[in-house]
Amino acid sequence: MTLAPSTNSVDPLLQDIVGPTPGQQLRRRFFGHRGLMIGASVVAVLLVIALLAPVIAPHDPYAQDLLARMKPPVFLGGTWEHILGTDHLGRDYLSRLIYGARVSLLIGFVAALISGTIGTAMGVAAGYFGGRTDAVVTFLINVRLAMPVVLVALAVVAILGGSLQVVIGVLGLLLWDRFAVVMRASTLQVRGREYVSAAQAVGASTPRILLSEIMPNILNNLIVVITLEMAHAILLEATLSFLGLGVQPPTPSWGLMVSEGKNMMLFEPWLVLIPGAVLFVLVLAINLMGDGLRDVTAPENRS
Amino acid sequence: MAYSKLKSAVAVLSICAAGAAYADKSDGTLSVAFTKELENVDSYFNSSREGVVLQRAVWDGLVYRDPVTSEYKGNLATAWEWIDDVTLEFKLREGVTFHNGEAFNADDVVFTVNFVADAENGVKTQRNVSWMKSAEKIDDYTVRINLKAPFPAAIEFLSGPVSMYPNEYYAEVGPKGMGLNPVGTGPYKVAEVIPGQRFVLEKNAGYHDSPKGQPSIERVDIRTIPDINTQIAELFNGTLDLIWQTPADQAEKLAQMDQFTVANESTMRIGYLTLDAAGRTGEDNPFTNLKVRQAVAHAINREALVSALLKGKSQVISTACFPSQFGCDQAVKSYDYDPEKAKALLAEAGYEDGFTTEFYAYRNRDYAEAISSYLNAVGIKTDFKMLKYSALRELRTAKGTPVSFQTWGSYSINDTSAITSQFFKLGALDDARDPELRDWLDVADSSTNPDTRKEFYSKALNKIADNAYWVPMFSYNTNYVYGNDISYTPTPDEVLRFTTMTWN
Repeated sequence: MTLAPSTNSVDPLLQDIVGPTPGQQLRRRFFGHRGLMIGASVVAVLLVIALLAPVIAPHDPYAQDLLARMKPPVFLGGTWEHILGTDHLGRDYLSRLIYGARVSLLIGFVAALISGTIGTAMGVAAGYFGGRTDAVVTFLINVRLAMPVVLVALAVVAILGGSLQVVIGVLGLLLWDRFAVVMRASTLQVRGREYVSAAQAVGASTPRILLSEIMPNILNNLIVVITLEMAHAILLEATLSFLGLGVQPPTPSWGLMVSEGKNMMLFEPWLVLIPGAVLFVLVLAINLMGDGLRDVTAPENRS
Repeated sequence: MAYSKLKSAVAVLSICAAGAAYADKSDGTLSVAFTKELENVDSYFNSSREGVVLQRAVWDGLVYRDPVTSEYKGNLATAWEWIDDVTLEFKLREGVTFHNGEAFNADDVVFTVNFVADAENGVKTQRNVSWMKSAEKIDDYTVRINLKAPFPAAIEFLSGPVSMYPNEYYAEVGPKGMGLNPVGTGPYKVAEVIPGQRFVLEKNAGYHDSPKGQPSIERVDIRTIPDINTQIAELFNGTLDLIWQTPADQAEKLAQMDQFTVANESTMRIGYLTLDAAGRTGEDNPFTNLKVRQAVAHAINREALVSALLKGKSQVISTACFPSQFGCDQAVKSYDYDPEKAKALLAEAGYEDGFTTEFYAYRNRDYAEAISSYLNAVGIKTDFKMLKYSALRELRTAKGTPVSFQTWGSYSINDTSAITSQFFKLGALDDARDPELRDWLDVADSSTNPDTRKEFYSKALNKIADNAYWVPMFSYNTNYVYGNDISYTPTPDEVLRFTTMTWN
């Protein structure tokens, strides 16, 4: 045995005792979770596609060519000029699909952000303060749950007129209920923990307790709800656009594309199937990702 | 190959639907689909094409215009003459009875005319009836209709939207009762009405010797089916025999299948953009500028719209009326497709970078999208708004719209007064609000001299075109799709005539 101290390598015996650091553990669980990996990579790919839409899209998604209407996609005998064919106004379907990803993801992110902020603020406040605050928030949650989302969204959009901003706003202001419910319940759980009592005892301010003691410990629940609501918002946007009350033409939106292809569904089913399939894949991927994140971030033995 | 696949899919569908009632030749029932709901069967209280179809089947007018030769023939009247410029005298047909057994005579004409001419009774389309002042009975089978002012298109209107109602019955039940249980003299009796959903007509066996001809099909079962795919699926499995107003794309596919006949016929309906020249939506509205309106006219490729979207017998239109209509002068300024010129005109008007405007439409979303896309291409950004017809009409009546895609079918009246005068005489839907046009159209509407009428319609139409108050774009066509066991020849006036349909 040499006496030279090994500075770079850790004694394997020691490593066995200490085990991997929490960061390493998390990473290992993260990469070992198949659903999470599949979901996250699909979302990542779609995100890159959406961000790079102007570079990737083979055509201008708004350029109509009435003489080249409803050209079939390549796999149904079309040409490589329009890989996924053209729509009822002769616009390139692939380009519209790529730009449509921007609309879907933008609506998903922003609507989840708005509703997440509202819902988390309400839920944490209700859970931490309890009493009258809790009663008021619970009442608001009940009121909100009593309103059918699609119906309210339809009514509001019908009055204000459909546009990207209106749809994002409406969905953001409607989808906070699940955030509030989950955040309230999680806050109630951690409120009585020792570390919260300790912080209170040393005289930490309420905002400090909420932000540095409560929030980090309920974050994993928040992430799960965010992904769920993002998928929910994307589906609702497609629904509204399908009903003609969401994003207005000529903005490419997957829901709108399904709606526009609907009339030719019997003869040209791909017009509906392609945007429908992409929508399905995105929502599935986001849900897989949320599910995986929950498994991975949940404390030991609770996955 | 795709079609053989489709056919086998259809065959499977039909087998699945074997339990469904087959409506066909064997039981004499013709099943027809309406795309839109009909609010009231009473023809004076609806303004839809479906209403016109039922009106021609259930009721008769004093006069009938042959849809092919355009010749006027006596229907409930046998003869008529102008006593003077504002008085028309009719000899009525004797021996005609209404479906409820009531005899038709001068009292019915007098009652009907006096009822509909009274604006207080609220007939939906006032222009159809407001030219009549009153009617008077001379004897049981002679009546005179008094006009408010000379109105040369009187016979055309009497052969179209003005049909005769039974006086006793109508006085008792009113428009509501008439809508639920219609009674007329026409070739078909109404057997059942489920408002907005279903209308069942039965052959009127005792139909008088009318120029409409004798009905041959026993029963007509009309159902409201808004979705075109459902209509086609029902056509495939045999629960529908005839669909109409089928969009061009679907009709093209159906025409490639052997078991259906697809007939295409032009209609009097034209599609146009109406621009807010009078500044009803705001003084500073870009469309108050002539150059902007002309830019819009130059921005739209109407030939491409017709050849790629409307297809069939549609044609490009440059006038604010349908070419076959009396007085519809075709020699007006026409704007060719020239996006560069449109951009230049916008720049001249001070909109180098274009502007954003609301764009309204109520039907043919695809056409409207294509049109708005042409506007986008020259820099006019559109905030696309698709409304229901009634909502858009209300909005236009209340405060106007900067630009909206409209259509008008003139109630199949072959006279320019049914369209140009309808919209350019300072009425609620007049976006131009040009008093000079009103004056000229007044002269044209009321003159009894055909040359004067033509001259003034021409002046008005030229001014409308020069000022680009409207951007007329195309005429519509209608596709009629029916099984091979039916023979039918559609007419250019978009009226579905059950009376001329027969089983093969």
